Amino acid sequence: MASTTPQAQPAARGPRGFWMRASTLSDRALAWLCIAPTIALLLAINIFPLLWTIYLSFTNYRANQPGREIKWVGLKNYKRILGSEDIWGYMQTTASFVCTTMIIQTALGLGLALLINRNFRGHGFWTTVILIPMMLTPAVVGTFWTYIYQPQTGIFSYIVNFFADVGPLDMIGSVAMAPWAIVIVDTWMWTPYIMLLCLAGLRSIPPYLYEAAEIDRANAWQKFRYITLPRIMPFLMLAVLFRGMENVKMFDMVVELTSGGPGSVTELASINLKREAFEKWKTGYSSAFAVILFVTVFGLGSIYVKALNRVKS
Amino acid sequence: MTIDNANTNGAGRKRRGWVRRGPCETAAAVLIVAGIAMMMQPFSMLLYGYSFVTILTGTLGFVVVSHFPK
Amino acid sequence: MAAHGNSAASAPSAAPRRLATGAAAAAVIAYALITLIPLLWIFVTGFKSPPDSISYPPKVIYRPTLEGYVNLFTARSRQTREYIDSLGPAATWYDRLARKRNMVITGPSRFAGRYMNSVIIGFGSTFLAVFLGTLAAYGFSRFRVPLKDDLLFFILSTRMMPPIAVAIPIFLMYRKLGLSDTALGMILLYTAVNVSLAVWLLKGFVDEIPREYEEAAIIDGYSRMQAFVKVVLPQMRAGIAATAIFCLIFAWNEYAFALLLTSGEAQTAPPFIPVIIGEGGLDWPAVAAGTTLFLLPIITFTVLLRNQLLRGITFGAIRK
Repeated sequence: MASTTPQAQPAARGPRGFWMRASTLSDRALAWLCIAPTIALLLAINIFPLLWTIYLSFTNYRANQPGREIKWVGLKNYKRILGSEDIWGYMQTTASFVCTTMIIQTALGLGLALLINRNFRGHGFWTTVILIPMMLTPAVVGTFWTYIYQPQTGIFSYIVNFFADVGPLDMIGSVAMAPWAIVIVDTWMWTPYIMLLCLAGLRSIPPYLYEAAEIDRANAWQKFRYITLPRIMPFLMLAVLFRGMENVKMFDMVVELTSGGPGSVTELASINLKREAFEKWKTGYSSAFAVILFVTVFGLGSIYVKALNRVKS
Repeated sequence: MTIDNANTNGAGRKRRGWVRRGPCETAAAVLIVAGIAMMMQPFSMLLYGYSFVTILTGTLGFVVVSHFPK
Repeated sequence: MAAHGNSAASAPSAAPRRLATGAAAAAVIAYALITLIPLLWIFVTGFKSPPDSISYPPKVIYRPTLEGYVNLFTARSRQTREYIDSLGPAATWYDRLARKRNMVITGPSRFAGRYMNSVIIGFGSTFLAVFLGTLAAYGFSRFRVPLKDDLLFFILSTRMMPPIAVAIPIFLMYRKLGLSDTALGMILLYTAVNVSLAVWLLKGFVDEIPREYEEAAIIDGYSRMQAFVKVVLPQMRAGIAATAIFCLIFAWNEYAFALLLTSGEAQTAPPFIPVIIGEGGLDWPAVAAGTTLFLLPIITFTVLLRNQLLRGITFGAIRK
């Protein structure tokens, strides 16, 4: 920096103005220059609205009646939600959706990862094929599955009837099947996610552990129980936490597939929240609901970030 | 803390262990998970009513605790 | 894994092992094929005629037609046979397709516009998110920032917010600022959603570049910023490309905000595809055609990105 010849060089070829000024800034100022725009954007579009939601949750505001006087109602909205049997029911619907999908997807994803990890020829290609549904648009996926699920003419009902003669299968219209309809689509989409993380866990196990176990004459189950499982547990935790979080706030796929019906058997919490907020326009009430949902997801999220940092190090 | 340090060695270590980050974080995480379980269980309306307070306590606790020294 | 290969060669139980591997391959391939059925089914439905799309049993062999695509891109109106005959011969192949169903094409549909909205909003927000994310990632990676871990946590936590939790105030805010149903409003919103991913992913990529390169450049007389632009940025190219594709896919896939905050002008394709209406219910070949056109870019990108996917879905925490 101090020698004269190189210092002259960039000054001659470097662009003027901003960079000249930037070059005289201290590291501390530069650091803030780098970070501040991102923080400002997030404050404006995430944190400010969040605080506004929290404020609205203590009022009786209705967004479709802007002229109406806004009254401070204290904890009334929260009390109503936490005393409502209906909302409790939607929470249970959400819970059974989250639990069922997590159990099925963990079993399938872990199984697939173990199979792929045998490294047969062409496993890379087939892994890529399995991964495709994961990145697709959930809302559009929900739409085209309604076609696949058509009771009379859909391919799903046809394939099921090919193996077992159960008659036309109304996946979306029947109370018994609709919860399974969303579970099947979610499993189709997100099993690859858990599989990918399990695969990463399996690849991180050093081979000498298995060699040592072989010398000790450990059987396959013992190898799985004492080497594989503990090693992939952090990865599995990460996958389940993230998917659990995403499914607690699940909205788009289910809205397009069943939109909560029939009746309210697939009415997940966030679908009901959207109804209260943008169809019934109970803004204050639904803000309190939103805060409750946010704190739940945020709680899971902080555990997730902890797990993320643990896997990282 | 200073008083603890002045104490006998064993007792001091024990007290520090309580303020240390790891166990506190685990406790807060357990509280969050318990709250979520309370919110979504199908058995008791009473538990559902108190679920949000539990999750909120756990979450705030988690944020505070994660700033404790390692 | 090496362990399996080695022991398979040396152990006496090589044959059963090979059999097990074969069984594993068969199971994985079977799962992959089942996964593909819905996608292939949608693809072929796009080339069916409306009656074929609702036939029983579902037709696997049929006469392919572009009617779905024509219906997707055009608005039509039903006319009497006499009126159509009075029009004279059809000028184009798509006119002819429509007239076979007693329809007359009255103009283009709104699909192309919605698709363009998706493209504009997707690319606009991706560019902004990657630009902001690169700066922030460099800042976090190279400078001593007070409360660094807290800020990084804060940035990531904004991504976990359920969209509905902030949708109400954003709706009110945009109504006041005149940003509702504008491309600019959606670009800003999607940038905010994506910037957290961009920062975390790009920070991982910057961390991988040895500091020595910049230090050498600074000793050569470059300023910090010049070293960043001339030394670090070129090294980050692959990382930036991968991050951009991730941001693009997430902006492309977003539905909740688009549904709640746009209705006409700036509406993207995801809320539009489900409401492509035909006569007597949804026009399935048109929906399938729209779905195919909308999902094809994502499938392409997913295949291109396959080795970076893990990194993308764990916010850069797991590298390989």
